[in-house]
Amino acid sequence: MKQIFEGKSVKRIAKRTPGGNLTYHYRKRKIKDATCSGCGAKLHGVPRLRTKQLAKLPKTKRRPERIYGGALCPSCVVEKIKNKLMVTTNDNSSN
Amino acid sequence: MTTAAIEVGRVCVKTKGRDAGKYCVITGIVDNSFVTISGPKKLNGIKTKKCNATHLVYTEKKIDIKEKAKDDEIEAAVESANLSDIIKNGLKL
Repeated sequence: MKQIFEGKSVKRIAKRTPGGNLTYHYRKRKIKDATCSGCGAKLHGVPRLRTKQLAKLPKTKRRPERIYGGALCPSCVVEKIKNKLMVTTNDNSSN
Repeated sequence: MTTAAIEVGRVCVKTKGRDAGKYCVITGIVDNSFVTISGPKKLNGIKTKKCNATHLVYTEKKIDIKEKAKDDEIEAAVESANLSDIIKNGLKL
């Protein structure tokens, strides 16, 4: 996608070249927070980096050490566990 | 469904932490809010440790062990109750 250099969200920084001329460098846009795919809450433990910088980090620093870490918030995980337990006990009692 | 109580030998599921979704066994009671649990470690990797009682969900299953039993005795009791497969595989979410 073509980069847009106008507007308030694009940060423009003035720099001086070795020849004495003035040029502008443009900073890249910042990434938004990761959100829970179930309820939309903001997730902790996921750094706000672009994909190439995220790939350089070790795997344990990209997401928390929990099932569905980096995808679901902890309260959604607790709901999933409770629903699964209710289903298994109801199956046993019906059989 | 009968109400399950916090007691030694009760099988429950952890809901929080790195061990969320795994089965564990209560081996002792510390005070109003804390209990000691164990996997046992050879079956699913949960060591003997202290844990908050609100981070557990209780099931209807129970095994017969003494308080502060060691891992060998817990494994033997789990084998005789035919629960070792369930504890090994865990809840498949």
